[in-house]
Parts: sequence; structure tokens; C-alpha cells
Amino acid sequence: MPDPVVVLIEDEPQIRRFLRATLTGQGYRLFEATSGADGLVEVGSRQPDVVIVDLGLPDIDGIEVIRRLREWTDVPVIVLSARGQERDKVTALDAGADDYVSKPFGASELLARIRVALRHTAGASHEADEAAFKLGELQVDLLHRRVFVGEREVHLTPIEYKLLTTLVQHAGKVVTHQQLLREVWGPTHTDQAHYVRVYMAHLRHKLESEPARPRYLLTEPGVGYRLAAE
Amino acid sequence: MSRDLPAWIRTGYAQALAVVTAATAVASLMFPFFELPDLIMAYLLGIVVVAMRHGRGPSLLASVLSVAALDFFFVPPYFTFAVSDVRHLFTFAVMLVVGLVISGLTVRIRRQAEAAREREQRTAALYAMSRDLAQAGAVEDLVAIAARHIAGVFGAEVAVFLPDAAGRLRVSGYPGQLEVEETALELGQWVFEHLQPAGPGTGTSEESRDVCVPLLGHRGPLGVVSIRPERRDAFKTSEPLRQLETFVNQTALALERERLAGEAQDARVRAETERLRNALLTSVSHDLRTPLATITGAASTILENGSRLDDQTRRELLESVREEAERLNRLVQNLLEMTRLESGALQLRKEWHPLEEVIGAALGRLAKRLADRRITTRVPPDLPLVAIDDVLVEQVLVNLLDNAIKYTPVGTPIANMATPTDRGVTVEIADRGPGLPRGEEDRVFEKFYRGQPAGGRGAGLGLAICQGIVKAHGGRIWAQNLPEGGVAFLFTLPLTGAPPAAVPADA
Repeated sequence: MPDPVVVLIEDEPQIRRFLRATLTGQGYRLFEATSGADGLVEVGSRQPDVVIVDLGLPDIDGIEVIRRLREWTDVPVIVLSARGQERDKVTALDAGADDYVSKPFGASELLARIRVALRHTAGASHEADEAAFKLGELQVDLLHRRVFVGEREVHLTPIEYKLLTTLVQHAGKVVTHQQLLREVWGPTHTDQAHYVRVYMAHLRHKLESEPARPRYLLTEPGVGYRLAAE
Repeated sequence: MSRDLPAWIRTGYAQALAVVTAATAVASLMFPFFELPDLIMAYLLGIVVVAMRHGRGPSLLASVLSVAALDFFFVPPYFTFAVSDVRHLFTFAVMLVVGLVISGLTVRIRRQAEAAREREQRTAALYAMSRDLAQAGAVEDLVAIAARHIAGVFGAEVAVFLPDAAGRLRVSGYPGQLEVEETALELGQWVFEHLQPAGPGTGTSEESRDVCVPLLGHRGPLGVVSIRPERRDAFKTSEPLRQLETFVNQTALALERERLAGEAQDARVRAETERLRNALLTSVSHDLRTPLATITGAASTILENGSRLDDQTRRELLESVREEAERLNRLVQNLLEMTRLESGALQLRKEWHPLEEVIGAALGRLAKRLADRRITTRVPPDLPLVAIDDVLVEQVLVNLLDNAIKYTPVGTPIANMATPTDRGVTVEIADRGPGLPRGEEDRVFEKFYRGQPAGGRGAGLGLAICQGIVKAHGGRIWAQNLPEGGVAFLFTLPLTGAPPAAVPADA
């Protein structure tokens, strides 16, 4: 497999410099754009495997960049945003972004997000391998609909199982409350965000050894949930 | 005097007629035994009675009627108005003059007595108004009280006009039902600008129906009191205007007192704001510079001596760059949070949350720094959902845990607990560190307060932010030293609003 291609749309030169060092050092081929308009052109011409977009661009709003990208491509988009702007993050995710990293972030955090994004692109092309999911002690046998923690089989209700498998499908990626409500309860329940929280608590009590310090089912306050990646 | 009598009988003139008739009856009884001057006394007595009770007109009538009756009945030739003796004409003249003088004097005494009573009433009313004004605080209350009292005393519609920022008068207090007419406001504006009263009895705008008196403070006019008496001639004499001015001056004093108190309060707030700003500048410049100095120093050391440093030293320097940058980030985060709280720009996005999840998120955020601590978390499984802004409450938990990490020795345990109460949920974070200095349990929530052992490690904003967020949720936060050592920070989250829609169970 050739080196994965990353397009970075970011106007801050210092952040570009740091990401250039990090990403090229990890074997990615990096193409940079300093504005939203340039970024859209760059994505069109480079056909990248991952796009990284800063939400605060000088010309076009980062969210607008995501919308325009989503008009023609499914390339994974990772958003760079600041803590305290949870609403922007949700808007970006709703607009089609795959994940986000809060500034300031460490290199390892961003690299983990990129790996997850690439894995999902790869996973989409050979669906059949996804019959089982394993993460630490947690095992989900998607074929036989069975869930294990270590050697112990855990019995889940249908909704709990649906919730868990939805997170498994997006493993490592953030999933918003709205997304979960839509996928688990259907489009008519999208204003009942506490359903998700209550069932998530049930799941934690069944799957986590310390539900108040979860290892697998992580909370992203104000945004949604993330099934730990690795 | 019975109230059943027809109205005309109850008028002073009918009474005068009745009194003279009575005097004539008395005189006719006296006539066989007394001299003419004695009969005159009976009539004079009658005139005094009429003057005392009914004033100038009726007593005048009584005087004339008395002379006529005396002439008709008791001066020969009897039962005619003819006079045989010229001396009697002189008697009549003197009687008439005496009658008029008596009635004049009596009327004046009566008027003075009435005026004295009225003054007394107004003094009492003035006192009552001052007392009410002294108890009121806000300008609107003062204006309403003054308007109510003045209206009661002067039997008038009262409006109080106060200037807006541009110096245009606006109606501020108006107990009556009627709309304030534009002309009243115009007259008020004139009075406000010329600092003298206008309206009937003032020498200016006599034709107006309203009397306007300026509210004069020591540094210029504060407004205008405009009154519209029920009777148009109420301000014919100078007395009512003087009285009105007394009331208005009293009101002006109260308004001025209130204004000065407000200005003093503003000055205090400004001084406090200034003090906080200075504290913030001092704190921020120090707290920003310390990590920046470390970062700059470490980075330049690596840049300039990179080849001569061993791997471990380089690694240590890079570690401290990262740690200090994280510290800087926390500081900036706190400053932003504080600014949002103080500017009132904070909007709660409340949703129903299980607290366990929020606690879990906070512990997750601090996972690296909590690695060498024993954390116990107790959240009862039946704890109700709470309506909170999870991002903000997570911040409260992170700040409290961060403090516990900063101010207690490495390796000591930290406990989180959530317990239901009858009105909400209480969350407690307890450490086993040195505790707070006695008496400082409340001060720790003040802005820029810093704990001693770790002084200089933060801006002293964390707990102030916690307090702001908890208060915004309608809860309370406090600290208490624990008998077994250490300190517990507790906050409540009240159960507010309708509980969430029940979550449908699935099999």
C-alpha cells in the first residue's frame, strides 16, 4: 500500500510546521493549504486519504468547507477545534466531519484519529472481516450476536446491543447523541437525548469493571460518545 | 342641624334668616322688661353666631336683617320701618357697624383657626411622607410615595417627571387614571429648565390648569412635580403653593439621597472592579510568564546545545515544555471561563444526565495526572438524572479534582461521591491532604485566592469558576475540613423543572 495522502487545511504556520514534522515523520504524504478555497482545490487534485480542517479559516468557515467536500467525496475529515466550542464540533460532525481533535492536542492524539479514519475507509471495502470486534477484554461477536467480557458472556437487551454495535461500527470515532438516537431509536426520537445516556449507563454497568471510570465507552461531554480505539 | 332639611335651609343665608328670627323672638320676650340697647345685644349675639358658623356673606345679611327687624318691631312707630326719633338712626348706624366689625373679626378668627388646622394636617402629612420616603430605597418607590402623598394632601392629580439621559422629562410616577397631557409635560420641561415653579398662583403661566414645581437638588434640578388640583382656584392664595413647595423639597431631598447612595455604590463597584483588574493583571502576567519562561528556556537550550545534551536531559527538557504548555492551556481556559461567567455570556445548555457519566468524563480528562492516586467513586445506581450543562459541570469536577491533585501529597487517595437529597443531588470530592486553614473555608471561592502550600501554581480562579457554574445551576458549593483530615468540597445540583420523559424499557 502506498503512503497515505493527507491534505491539511490550516492557516496557522506554526501548527502547519508542527503537523508537517509529525505527519511526514510517520510516513504520510502531506499537502498543505492555507485557506478554505485552496484546500478545496487541493482535495480535488490530490485525492487524499484523510483531510484535516481547521474550523477557524480566514476565508471560508471550516464548516462550509466540510459541507462543500461532502457534496462530492466521502474522504474522512478530521476537524481541529478549541475546547469550549462543543457546539461548533457538533455542527461540524453534523455537516459530515468524521472526528475532531481539540486544540491544544498532542501528536499521538491526532495520529490515533488519523489511524482510525484510515481503518474505517479500509474496513468499508472488505465488510466481511468485521464479523468480530475485540477491544481489551471486550469481545463482540457480530455474527452470533454475543458479547463477552473476558471469559464471561454478557446478556444485553436488544437496544443495548444495537447501541453497542452502532458504536462498534464507528469504533474509535466520536458519535454524536443525534446519530445514536437516529440509528438506534429511529428518526422520531431525536429530541430524547437522555435515552442514549440512560442506556449508555446500563451498558457501562454491564461491560465496564468501573462504570465511573470507563475504559471502553468514553464520554465526550457536549458532543457524544466514543468507543475506545486501541 | 339635621341632614334631612332641604338644601336651601342648610345654606348660610337661610341660617342667617333663622338666627335673626330667633333673635327677634328673644328680643320680643325681653321687650316689656328691657331697654332698647339690651335688645340690640340679642341681635349682636345672633350676628356673632352666624359669623362664626357661616362666614362673611351670611353674617352681612344677618347684620342688615337685624337692623331692619329692630326698626320694624321694637322702634316706635312699631311695625313700620319709619323712624320717629332721629337718634334711633344713629343707633341703627352704630349697630350696623358693630355687627359688621364683629362679623369681620369673627370670620377672620374662624379662617385662622381653619388655616391652622389645615397647616397642622399638612404638617402631619408632610411628616408621614418623610417617614415613608425614608423607608423607601429605589427611585421609582420614592416617586410613587411622593405622588401618593401629595395627591392625598392637595386633592389633586399628581405626576412626577424625571429627566432621561438626554435631559428630556419623562413621566415617572402617576397614580391617576388620566393620561398626562402633552401641555403638562411641556410646562414641566419649562420649569425644569428655568428652575422656578409655573402655573396658577406662581406668576408664570397662570392660565394653565397644572401647577409645576421643580425638584431642586444641590447640583441642579432632579425633576418636576406637576399637580392638577380639582378646584381651579385652589392655588389662589400663596399658602398652598408654599405648602406644595415644602412637599416637593422633601421629595427632592429623598431623591438626592438616593442618587448619592447610588453613586457611592457605583464608586465602590468601580473601585472593586479596578482592584480585581489589577489583581488579574498581576496574577495573569506572573502566571503566564512562569510557564513561558520555562518553555522558552527549555526550547532554546535544546536548539543551542542539542548535540551536547544527553538523551535523558533532552527528554526532561521536552517534558517540561509539554507540562508548562498544558499549564498555560489550563490557565487560559480558566481565564476564558471566568470572563464568560462574569460577562453574563454564559448560556446553560441543560439536558438530563446521569452524574456518573459526567464524573467519568472528568476522571477521563485527568487520567494522566490521576495515575498515581487511588480514586474511589461512589454513585448509587438509583441516583436520579439531573438537568445540567454537562460541559460546565464536568469543568467543575475537573477543577475540584485538579485542586485535590495540586494541594495534596502524591499518592494520597481522592474520593468522589454523589448522594441524592430530597431536593437534588449533592456531589462531594474529598481528599486526605492538609485541609484548609481554619476560617478560610469560604475565602477559597474568592477570585485570585491561592492555597498556601502550592502558592503560585494557579491563577486562583478554579474555585471561583466552580462557584459561578454551580450558582448558575441554582446550586450551592462549599468546603469543609474533615475530622479525619483533608478537605471535602461539596456542591448541590437541584432537581428543577419537569422530570424527563420516562425511558422506555426494552426486554
